[in-house]
Amino acid sequence: MRFEDELIGLLPRLRRFARSLAFAPADADDLCQATIERALKSRDQWQPGTRLDSWMYRIMRNAWIDTARASKRRGETFVAAEAGESIGDAGDRAIEARVELGNVGRAMAMLPPEQREAVALVLVEGLAYKEAAMVLEIPMGTLTSRLVRGREALMRTLGEAA
Amino acid sequence: MSGEIDPEMLMAYADGELDPLSAKRVERAIAADPHAAATVARHRALRATLAQAFDPVAAEPVPKPLLAAVEAPKVVDLASVRAARRRARGWRGWPVGGAIAASLTLGLFLGGQLGGGAPVTSRGGTLIASGSLDRALNTQLASTQDSAATTRVRVTFRDRSGAICRTFATPALGGIACRDGDAWILRETRARAGTAATEYRQAGSEDAAIMADAEAAMSGDPFDAAAEARARATGWRSR
Repeated sequence: MRFEDELIGLLPRLRRFARSLAFAPADADDLCQATIERALKSRDQWQPGTRLDSWMYRIMRNAWIDTARASKRRGETFVAAEAGESIGDAGDRAIEARVELGNVGRAMAMLPPEQREAVALVLVEGLAYKEAAMVLEIPMGTLTSRLVRGREALMRTLGEAA
Repeated sequence: MSGEIDPEMLMAYADGELDPLSAKRVERAIAADPHAAATVARHRALRATLAQAFDPVAAEPVPKPLLAAVEAPKVVDLASVRAARRRARGWRGWPVGGAIAASLTLGLFLGGQLGGGAPVTSRGGTLIASGSLDRALNTQLASTQDSAATTRVRVTFRDRSGAICRTFATPALGGIACRDGDAWILRETRARAGTAATEYRQAGSEDAAIMADAEAAMSGDPFDAAAEARARATGWRSR
């Protein structure tokens, strides 16, 4: 199958992953866009026969981290718990997202990035621990400890209703 | 929280990540510890909650700009690809084989398009764009065209003679047209597979071949959005 076709087939899942990382729909689609551009630019680095989805998840995750760093440098609030306090466009975006994903999205946005990405890959994208650890390029033990902390935080935030 | 079974282990059990032996051990433990059993249940409930919240995103139709980002990479990216290709094989001029294929394709194509509005006509033995194709080449900008447009213009560039050329794709036909006077001369055409009028067409191997030939014929960089708009404003004049 052609690289582009395979990539298009992955877009629904990539959009879901982006939403679980970046929270606001507009930010999430920006992240998708950046991910696609990176993937096309470095497509020579992908080895046919290996899993394109894992490769794409990794590119997206790295793009997200880069965006987060850049936002931090500019002194912006990056999809954080205090998003509601920010003003202007970013605030509007966050509020819009909040309406759509409700408590779950807000709870995810409150997690530290390293817990959020672990939760997103395993619980939202349904990756096995081993696959998620490979995407994040961390040892299994690191993955499970981040995952358990992230889940416990989500359970606390969402309460027994979850 | 659950005696000898640590939180990671309970979580892994809830996720079905444990080997059978470890799973048995956890099962024995949770049978004796209601708190551990509740934790496992909460882990599973949380997974369901997250799926319920985020799965609708994957069910939404993918926005067109994202599809377009895969299908028509930015012109700036093309420039680097082209540079690499040119280094690899050097200038080889307009493809003669492609031109022969073009006339065969067009023979078939024109045969099926008798009557008004054919996108291709012949003038003095030269194939030129007409009708909707001529219109699209004259007016559409790759940077602003509707992603659902039937005829899409992809890349605009100058060839070695200074003429402005544009690659295009209709549902049935793709190719390269270069401006000569008041007409778009078809330098290369290829039949495109998958001619059904689906809402969104995916580029096939013909498109890649056309793009490669455009890259080989190009002088300088492909036009960016501003250059493309300027070229349109000045009637696609050659240099």
